Amino acid sequence: MKTVIYSSPFVPAEWLAAHGVRPQRIRPDPAAALPSTSPLTGVCPYARAFIGELLAARGADAAVLATTCDQMRRSAEWLAASGGPPVFLLNVPATWQTPASARMYRDELQRLGRFLVGLGGKTPSREHLAKMIATYDARRAALRGTLGDLSARQASDAIARYDLGKGEPAAPELLRGGSPEPPRSTPVALVGGPLMRGDERVFDLVEQSGGRVVLDGTESGPRTLPAPVDRRRLPDNPLLELMDAYFGAIPDAFRRPDTALYQWLGRELAASAARGIIVWRYVWCDMWAASATRLREATGLPVLDLDVSGDESGLARTAGRIQAFMEVLR
Amino acid sequence: MSDSPKRLTMEELDRLCRRRQAAGLPMAAYAGPLARHVEDGDRRLLKLQYDDSAAALRLWNFLLTEEDRLHAARAAGKKIVGTMKDLGTVPVMAYAAPNLVAFYPDGAWWTPCVMELSEGLFALAQSLGLGDALCPVRAMAGAFVNRAHFPIPDLLTCSVGATCDDFSAVAQRLESLGYPILWWEMPSRRQPDPGEPAVTLPGGFCAPESQVAVVRSELERVRVALADLAGLPLGDEELAAGIREANRVRALLGDLRRMAYTAEPCPMPALEMLIAEMLAIHFCSDRAESVAVLTEMLDEVRSRVDRRAGVLAEGAARLFWVNPVADLRVMNLLEDCGARLCGTEFLFCHALDTIPEDLPPMEALARMALADPMVGPSADRAARIVRDARALGAEAVVVSRIPGASHCAMEGGVIGRIVRQQIGLPVVELEVPPVADPLWPTLKTRLEALVETVLERRLR
Repeated sequence: MKTVIYSSPFVPAEWLAAHGVRPQRIRPDPAAALPSTSPLTGVCPYARAFIGELLAARGADAAVLATTCDQMRRSAEWLAASGGPPVFLLNVPATWQTPASARMYRDELQRLGRFLVGLGGKTPSREHLAKMIATYDARRAALRGTLGDLSARQASDAIARYDLGKGEPAAPELLRGGSPEPPRSTPVALVGGPLMRGDERVFDLVEQSGGRVVLDGTESGPRTLPAPVDRRRLPDNPLLELMDAYFGAIPDAFRRPDTALYQWLGRELAASAARGIIVWRYVWCDMWAASATRLREATGLPVLDLDVSGDESGLARTAGRIQAFMEVLR
Repeated sequence: MSDSPKRLTMEELDRLCRRRQAAGLPMAAYAGPLARHVEDGDRRLLKLQYDDSAAALRLWNFLLTEEDRLHAARAAGKKIVGTMKDLGTVPVMAYAAPNLVAFYPDGAWWTPCVMELSEGLFALAQSLGLGDALCPVRAMAGAFVNRAHFPIPDLLTCSVGATCDDFSAVAQRLESLGYPILWWEMPSRRQPDPGEPAVTLPGGFCAPESQVAVVRSELERVRVALADLAGLPLGDEELAAGIREANRVRALLGDLRRMAYTAEPCPMPALEMLIAEMLAIHFCSDRAESVAVLTEMLDEVRSRVDRRAGVLAEGAARLFWVNPVADLRVMNLLEDCGARLCGTEFLFCHALDTIPEDLPPMEALARMALADPMVGPSADRAARIVRDARALGAEAVVVSRIPGASHCAMEGGVIGRIVRQQIGLPVVELEVPPVADPLWPTLKTRLEALVETVLERRLR
């Protein structure tokens, strides 16, 4: 079975699986971002790492990138020109309030389907697609069921395992084993772009500084899990259900307008009782760079604008800034 | 204004202007010494060098009085449309209504340069959370807040999707501050799949028909909003007339560019050509006057070409310039280094191409919008640069990077690689901040080295 690598939450894993390929949503390894893989200055570390990972990956038969950010859009072209695996660029509309944008997303999924068939996949029947969607929906429901019992770090790990297609979510007791919840720790939210492999240690850094992440609003966290599907409607039009679950539900900074993101944050921040927000953004990520001040205005909470470079040398600085922020919140 | 054209300082140009005024020579109502704009804070004007023609004087005055025109339009009861990001499409539609005036608030990205950072727009943008990780277009947000540079539009439109993230982020911030925006989708242009119905766009790019249809339907939403604002129908007939008028501007520019970029010696400086090209995107808020200004420019260039009069010495290195410069003075610098422009791709080549007049207007506009070099692969853009550079006899290519711009880092690499591979020209990348004075020695050295390379290659 062919393996298709992707990173955007707007790429439906079940659509790939229904076409007979193995979907793997990865968190790229920052160490893969070799200087030779793309320009150093001005390119987001995540995009560089993703390019590097794909160029080095032996098990990847194809990659799907999305147009949800300019740098990843251009990474698709860079990858294709650098001798990487076949690349499909999924055009995810930034607008979402018109029927035309939903149609465009649907058409793009269908085009992706043809790409997958070209790779050796098979066009799914309606029944097969519905079954696959139901299977993934059930897995996600199980995953969601476990997340509430886990620390943010554990939950993030669980989602990463799920994204990689590593079987059923593990039971909470198996996932536990991290540090116990620190007494009188300060609850904070982590909001922003995607995590790279190893970035999960940001949760540890927060804990070591006397805090704990009570809301993971990064692109790699529960925020970008698609919505549950309507099982009654699923057999009639599974593709429509898929669109609703993904395009119709996932709040993100690239969407225009981005009101759904702020509605989600308002709801979840209130529920989590976070006392501060850490904005996780990569250097050169414009979407999240413009969000920190706005988050402060919208929520009234203190905000740490954490620009991360993705290299080890920046870790001490990141740790220092988190520590200072947690002291302020104490 | 003389038989041997030359570049002048602002003081010299203003002396010529006053002499023309004293002599009662015909001048546009908005014309006058540029010093009045320096008094308003446009201090960069003091450091620029200008072409010495009456046509160039008119061009500069036209450019520098745009804010006055916008305020006058509002006072006259016209509605103002702020069209963001698409660079050349929505204004064609807006000017099809007699009571609409469209402009690009994006143009504020040059204000920090023209005012040498004295206007505080970047500081204002910073206070809104738009720091220097974002490209200089963040100045636009500051201009909305301090309201000192243009009237707040009655309608704001913004193309999003396959656009730079900087712009999308800044525009979203604007909306969060209470400026409603009509967002319209611009899909990422792609090559048609095998067997997929496709069309050739103005300028030569190819796109699937389905993508043109998406853009057409999005522009329909814009059309409805414009008609609502105007309180007048904006039917195909009106749009077709608007397209014809836009094509008049484009045709004039086409002739001007062809003549100015190919004639030897160089008949018109790079800076004036940059300003002239900018008129294409929204007519500097007066379409009819744009035609008059460009006609005079073209007449001047034609006259110089006929008598082999150049503003630069013969034999200047022929550079093809990619991307607009954040600091206008760099256009002077390239000439100081012994080079000249022989072609450009300032991010809006789709605003220079003729809009098809044999198609339904909305179809024609959609095709034009989708031909935007920014919305497609960098390889497409590079292919056009290769084609134009070859046709115009370029000897080197300069990719001018815009600080912080999300597209520049990867795009520059792709363009450079393709240009080198396909036409074997030397390529240099420069990053030009809004006031480049601190980098002047570096920029000068790099451009001089490029010129030396070009001259050395001529000897082979």
